[in-house]
Order: sequence, then C-alpha cells, then structure tokens
Amino acid sequence: MLVLDNLSKTYPNGVRALESVSLKVAPGEIVAIVGGSGCGKSTLLRLVSGLDRPTRGSVSLDGTPILSPHEQIGIVFQEPRLLPWLTVAGNVGFGLAHRPRAEQEARVAQQLERVALTDKAPVWPRELSGGQAQRVAIARALVTRPEVLLLDEPFSALDAFTRVDLQDHLLDLWADTRPTLVVVTHDVDEAIVLADRIMVMRPRPGTVFAEIVADLPRPRDRQSAAFDHVKRRVLAALDRSLDRKVVTNDGTTQAEAGAGAWW
Amino acid sequence: MTASAEPSVTTEPTQRAGAGLRLRPVLGLVLPVGLAVAWEIAVRAGFSDGRLVPPPSRIFATFVELWQTGELQRHTIATVLRVAAGFGFGVVTGTLTGALCGYSALARRLLDPTFQALRSIPSIAWIPLFILWLGIFETSKVTLIAVGVFFPVYLGVMGAVLSVDRKIVEVGRVFRLSGPAMVRRILLPAVLPAYVLSLRAGLGLGWMFVVAAELLGASEGLGFLLLDGQQLGKPAQIVAAIVAFAVIGKTTDWILVGITAPFLRWEDAYGAGR
Repeated sequence: MLVLDNLSKTYPNGVRALESVSLKVAPGEIVAIVGGSGCGKSTLLRLVSGLDRPTRGSVSLDGTPILSPHEQIGIVFQEPRLLPWLTVAGNVGFGLAHRPRAEQEARVAQQLERVALTDKAPVWPRELSGGQAQRVAIARALVTRPEVLLLDEPFSALDAFTRVDLQDHLLDLWADTRPTLVVVTHDVDEAIVLADRIMVMRPRPGTVFAEIVADLPRPRDRQSAAFDHVKRRVLAALDRSLDRKVVTNDGTTQAEAGAGAWW
Repeated sequence: MTASAEPSVTTEPTQRAGAGLRLRPVLGLVLPVGLAVAWEIAVRAGFSDGRLVPPPSRIFATFVELWQTGELQRHTIATVLRVAAGFGFGVVTGTLTGALCGYSALARRLLDPTFQALRSIPSIAWIPLFILWLGIFETSKVTLIAVGVFFPVYLGVMGAVLSVDRKIVEVGRVFRLSGPAMVRRILLPAVLPAYVLSLRAGLGLGWMFVVAAELLGASEGLGFLLLDGQQLGKPAQIVAAIVAFAVIGKTTDWILVGITAPFLRWEDAYGAGR
C-alpha cells in the first residue's frame, strides 16, 4: 500500500507547488493524476519517488517512509533518459548491476522480449525511435520488478499512434506482475484508458480537486459510451478546477470556456 | 503485444563509406606533399638556390645523416621523454583538481579564481623563475611542460563535470548509486568526450612548451637541434627538426585519439563518423 499523507511542498522561492495531498493507492491499482500545468503533479511524483523531500507530510510504502529513492519504486520520466554510452541491453540492465551476471542477462533478455525489442539489444540508444526509446525506459524501470511504477507524462512526446500503442503495451506489461502504477498525464483519454481512479488536481497551490473512479471493464474501448461518460466527468472536473467562471446577472454561475480548453 | 510495427531509424553508413574511408587519410597529404614537390622542382629548375629554404631532398639528406650518426634518435628520445613526463604530471594534476572543482562548489570558489589568474600568465614567463627554483636541468623543463598541460585539462574536466545533464544524474539517483558508483557509471562516461578533447589540447600545448624549454638551454632534444641549426647556419637541420616535431606531434595526437576512440563509439554528435 502506497500512502501519501498530507503531502506539501513549498520550493525555496516560495512557490507552493503542493498543499496537503493525501492519497492511498492499493497494490496493483492504477491511479492517474491529471491537471493543468503548474498544478504540482510532477512535484507529487518526484516526492513519491524520493528524488525530492516534502516540506510537510510523508510518503510511505508498506509502512516504510520514503525519504530517498527506494528499490521498490521505479520511475519513467517524460524523456527516455537513456544513458547514451550503454547499449539498449546495458540500459535495461542498469539497475541490476549488483546481481550475478547470468541473472542479469536472463532478466534483461526477458524484459526486452516483453517490450518487443530483442533485436535492438546491441544497438546504441541514438539508433532508436522515440517510441522504442521510451519502451526501453519502461523496461529499465520494470526489470528490477518494483512494487510501484511512477510514470511522469511518459508518452506526451510521442505521436498519437505510437501513444495509443504504448498505452496498450503498458497495460500488457502491468498484467505481468501487477505493480501499482501512478501515471501523471495531461491526456484525459490516456488517463481513462489506463486508470482505475483519476485524481484531478487544481493549481496554486496544487491540491487534489476531484476523484473520479473509472469503473470500466478491461480492455477498454476508447469509443464506448461508458468511456465517453467518464471522459465528460473528468473534463467537467478539470473545467471547474480552473475556477474560470463568470457570475451572470441572475447570480448563477456559468462555465466560461468549453471542455477541453483547460490546459 | 501491439508495439512492434514501429520503423527503426537506424541507418547503415558503413557500406557506403567503405571506399571513402580508405582514401580519407590520403586526402590530408595532398597539400603538404604538393607544396614540397613544387619547391623541389623550383630549386632543381634554378628558380632559387634553396640556401635559406632548403628543398625536400636536402632536408631528407639531413635526416639520413642525423639518423646515421644517431643524433636524431638521441634528440627525439630526449624530447619525447620530457613531453611524456610533463604531460603525465599535467594530466594527473589537471584531472584531479578539475574533477574536484567541478564536483564541489566550495573547492571551486576557493581554488578556481587563483587558477584562472595563473592561467592568464603566459607560461613562458615562468621559465626564469623555474630555472632559479629548479635548476637548468630536467626538473624545470618538465615542470614548464606540466604547467602548460595542466590548464586545458583542468578547464576541460571542470567544465565537463559542471555540464553533466542533471536528468542523467537523476537516473543514477533513482537506482540508488553510491558516490563512487555515480562517478564511475554516470559522471566519468558523461565527461569522457570533453575530457579527450582537453587531453588533446593539453598534448598540443605540451609540444609547444617543450620547444620553449629546450630553446632556453638544453644539450639535447629537438629544440636544441633547432637552436644548433640556427647558430651554425644550417637551415636544413632547422627544417628537419621542425618536420620531426610535426610528425611526432601528429603521431602522438593520433595515438591518443586511437586509444580513446573505442570508448566514444556511442557518441551521437554532428562530427561522429565523419
């Protein structure tokens, strides 16, 4: 169980990036975090990964407080961040250096097969396409079999086709060992395809504004009415989260901008 | 599994470049050899007596003569040993202080201003002082060369460490690398391309300063050969020594590049494989 308790982060320049965020994520659950830019969603992920320390509050995994990077928590960044001086196989095996060589090779080979890149094992990262590089980054994070995998807008730099492909692919990989996934995204479709629960955040200071349960059967049909229904609820919550409302003459409030203009 | 139909961006330049690869070194010889041949013809045809600017044949004869008397070998070895010792000291001290100042902000604030001030002194200005302190023999010469090598290496290493991508360092942190492991697995490979460049710059300066050191009092070395040729009015010997410097300098640079190339095959840069 991943527990975020009253998590707050104020940067030295006074920016309150995150204010009292509490969240419990069950093992194997997939949680998506959506919100406009500057709502602290990346900050949240950095705190959970242990790369940054919270100003107040705490993160714990199965009761262990997370104060620095933890071996049971993997992370995939927006950019692949592959090490250019290691081959694809070397990058995937980066976190296994302390294991016996035979085990390293076996697990790297297995993980490369799972991301369908076995033939790319000996090449340099510079020879990969964007989608391939991000798959290597996912393989590198999963090869140590973490309990929790954090993904920070993992597919936002990819084209639409590759993105949809990798979303399905990620769910395939998730089904193998069922790690807890926390996905930060600004793509509402992506959030609904992936997540059991969608947390909508609002900025200044970053807080959780709404929680929407996406109770849809898997695999999810992006064209179904139920999918559309959840999508409308998420978009409505996003609109309200930005607080861009005009008060009309009769005192009622009305949304100023249409759904989808929230970023 | 759906992610398989992605096209790879791999290109195969090795096939295409096969013939060009073999011809590439030859291309660099066109200008010097062409000039040498033209001058030889000009002297043979009587356009010049070639007394002050000796033709290639006379320089070659001087080489053969110096070789047969064993002079060439003696002077070359003396010079190469000086450069090797100075380069060695300069690289070790430059690398260590550069890495320290790149890694620690405190060390950088403490040491860097002094180094920058010392760097702006023309290194040849040290010669009188080094001779007073260290005598006229090898120590002062090697020290001068080491000083010349130190600064480019120091600057190169410090700059490279400072400019290592924070995002790459974060990958090391995510995998909980210890300090030494971070240096070995992230920082060292990341600074290697810039480090090789600074070593080459340092080596070039090493060859410059060995001449300065040898011109100011030496009984052997290629620099002595230069001075000897001037005092005895033997321009062919001067040119021979200059050619020897060019050949050895280029060769050592080439060896350095050759040794380091296998470690830099991963580079994804404009100049890679060109």
